[in-house]
Amino acid sequence: MIILDYVWLVPLIPVLCFVIVGFLGNKMGPKMAEGGFLVIAGTAASFVIALLCTLEYVGFIGDGGLYPDAVTNSITWFSVGSYTLTFGYYIDILSCLMMLFASFISLMIFTYSLGYMHDQGPRQRRYFAEVALFLTGMLGLAVSSTLLELFIFWEIMGLCSYLLIGFWSFNHPEGDDKADNAASAAKKAFLVTRLGDVCLMGGLFVLFFTMGGLEYTTVFNATNLANAWAANSGLLTLAALLIFGGVIGKSAQFPLLDWLPDAMAGPTTVSALIHAATMVKAGVYLVARCFPLFVLEPNVMLFVAIIGGVTAFFAATMAMNNMNIKKVLAYSTLSQLGYMFLSLGAGGYMMALSIEVTGGQIIIQNPEYFTIGCLGYAAGCLHMVNHAFFKALLFLCSGSVIHANGTEDMRLMGGLYKQMPKTAITMLIGTLSIAGFPFFAGFFSKDLVLDVVFEAFHETSANVNYLFIFLWFLGIVTAFMTAFYMFRLWFMTFMGEYRGHHCHGESPKSMTVPLMILAIFAFGAGFALLLGWDGVFTFFGNHHTEGEVLQWIVGGWDRPNVGIHWIEELFTNWKTYVTIVLVIVAIALAYLMYVKKSINPGKFSKDGQSWLYRTISNRYYFPEIYNQFSWKLGYDVARGVDFIDKQIIDGTVNGLSNAVCGSGDLMSKAQDGNLHTYASVVLGGIVVLFVAVMLLFFYGGVF
Amino acid sequence: MIPIEYFLTFAAILFVIGAYGVMAKPNTLIVLMCTELMLNAANINFVAFSAYMTGAPAVYGQVMVIMTISVAAAEVAVGIAILLNAYKVRKSTNAEDLTSMRW
Repeated sequence: MIILDYVWLVPLIPVLCFVIVGFLGNKMGPKMAEGGFLVIAGTAASFVIALLCTLEYVGFIGDGGLYPDAVTNSITWFSVGSYTLTFGYYIDILSCLMMLFASFISLMIFTYSLGYMHDQGPRQRRYFAEVALFLTGMLGLAVSSTLLELFIFWEIMGLCSYLLIGFWSFNHPEGDDKADNAASAAKKAFLVTRLGDVCLMGGLFVLFFTMGGLEYTTVFNATNLANAWAANSGLLTLAALLIFGGVIGKSAQFPLLDWLPDAMAGPTTVSALIHAATMVKAGVYLVARCFPLFVLEPNVMLFVAIIGGVTAFFAATMAMNNMNIKKVLAYSTLSQLGYMFLSLGAGGYMMALSIEVTGGQIIIQNPEYFTIGCLGYAAGCLHMVNHAFFKALLFLCSGSVIHANGTEDMRLMGGLYKQMPKTAITMLIGTLSIAGFPFFAGFFSKDLVLDVVFEAFHETSANVNYLFIFLWFLGIVTAFMTAFYMFRLWFMTFMGEYRGHHCHGESPKSMTVPLMILAIFAFGAGFALLLGWDGVFTFFGNHHTEGEVLQWIVGGWDRPNVGIHWIEELFTNWKTYVTIVLVIVAIALAYLMYVKKSINPGKFSKDGQSWLYRTISNRYYFPEIYNQFSWKLGYDVARGVDFIDKQIIDGTVNGLSNAVCGSGDLMSKAQDGNLHTYASVVLGGIVVLFVAVMLLFFYGGVF
Repeated sequence: MIPIEYFLTFAAILFVIGAYGVMAKPNTLIVLMCTELMLNAANINFVAFSAYMTGAPAVYGQVMVIMTISVAAAEVAVGIAILLNAYKVRKSTNAEDLTSMRW
């Protein structure tokens, strides 16, 4: 434990950068490029420490022997009654993975920002300070050791996303309309994610009530979970559902998906950060982290899978006809996040079926199902990492294109391949990867996801399996649509003739070098499976079969070199070839439509007049529904509350004060300054008192 | 010996006259005098009870009366001084004219 003791530095360095750049940046002098270099250096330091920690954890350096037990340490924060709140770190493979890709991709994005935000002058300082804080949120979330600590960093990210989406809420380079747009997009993101966060907070309360603590070591301990489940299964299910509600908000899943496309109002680098390295990935992380809790109830996992599958399909349809290069990418993020939840949910469902909770133990009854569950978990996490790489790459490429063209409308692009070849080639790699072209990163993870869902269909009972075949079908269709709309984007941007006004040509080196580095990962990240992935994800807790106590290891929990086995399964499976064929057909279709122009895309949409086209381009009227809902419900409730406040509460207070003032006025009339009045009142009073005393004396029997 | 009821009746009549004067007379100087009447009515009661009281030192009432007379003298001095100053300002000693000390 040489470096792992210092893993708290990983989130601490970016927050120091935030403080220095944000509060002292104006004293650093002009050479520091408004704090950019400092933030990049800090991120690089965080990445190096995270890398060393990971290497030590898996045993490449140091004494070894840590893996697969989680390394955790904490200090007391404060005590309330008999309960002590702690603050600490909790490192297992999942945390390591999150730290690594978040810090590495952030490093690339920040380097790219040097070039991209160069024309912003002194406002870069604000930008770099905020992204540093954003990264702190993500890294802190990855290493935190209690759910409460996680929630704090979760909220830091919510705040930073608000600040960064609204970065151009004043002095927008394209005018005040865009500035208003950015401001309202920021508000929307903040409020919609807040809705989820309230759910998450409620989930934490319920969980605290049932488990008596929020430390991972308490909550995800198999014995504790089994006992709590025996005592209070309903409340644990409620906690899991509420936590997933928080995930729906943060990762923009089905009912709350609308803020993410609007969040495109921020700078493109911020979009890359939100979509690839931070923010939306936090939701996937939370589901993966809470897996031991979620798998207790199969229906929770079924819900996760349905939400994921439906989001994947809906978001993909919305990307089909959008003309804004960034919005297409935003919808594709939603769609890919849907894949991740589909995978986690389908795998989790199988895992939930495989275990049985009895007598304070969680017993794995069906190893076959459990293996499918492990695959679902691993595929979801692998897709999260792969998506981080290719989505960061795609966003940065689109940023490069926007930087050169000054527009986000794809109708004003085209033929840019000649002018910006580096961007075009790197973006092609990213596009092939997200489309799931064979041997690119997205291919492995996406096909594993679909494989899991199909296995779930195969193995489950009569009624649920229809649902899973439906989800699998949605997944396949989504894969087809993904390949189509991504190549539509690439062809419209880089092929054909130039339709815009002016192009500056290739972007500077600080922008293209990160693109090339990310392109390597976007191609090769899938080959991480060849590393074996033996028990690559772990849960804290014990697994009992036949009295034997085991670590509850996910990954190849009972099989060596499971990654290679998965690849083998992938290529000996007819379903994989179905998706490959679909992907190639989709690419060909996009080619015919947008390069050869032999198929007119307007033919399918009646030139944008068909109801389907309009429904999709109005985002299924989601913003409309939100508006109506919040207008009708929110405004009327607000008016009712306003009435109660103004009329009843204020009325009571004002009435009381008016009564006091009025009676005071009335009484003050008695003070007329006339001596005789006063004397009469005094004497009259005396007489009254005297008479009263006399009456008491004679009749009352007081004396 | 004259019965005590005579003293008490006399004092009561005196007190009522004083009270009437305080409430009804417009001139503040007469009001002051009437307060003296009321005080003296009380003094008569004190002295009368003192004279008729048995079993306790007979000077208790007289001591009280001397106390009252000295306080009344001081009070009249202050009252007439205020009245003189009020007369300088208002050119009147009428109680109806001296009503500015109010809301």
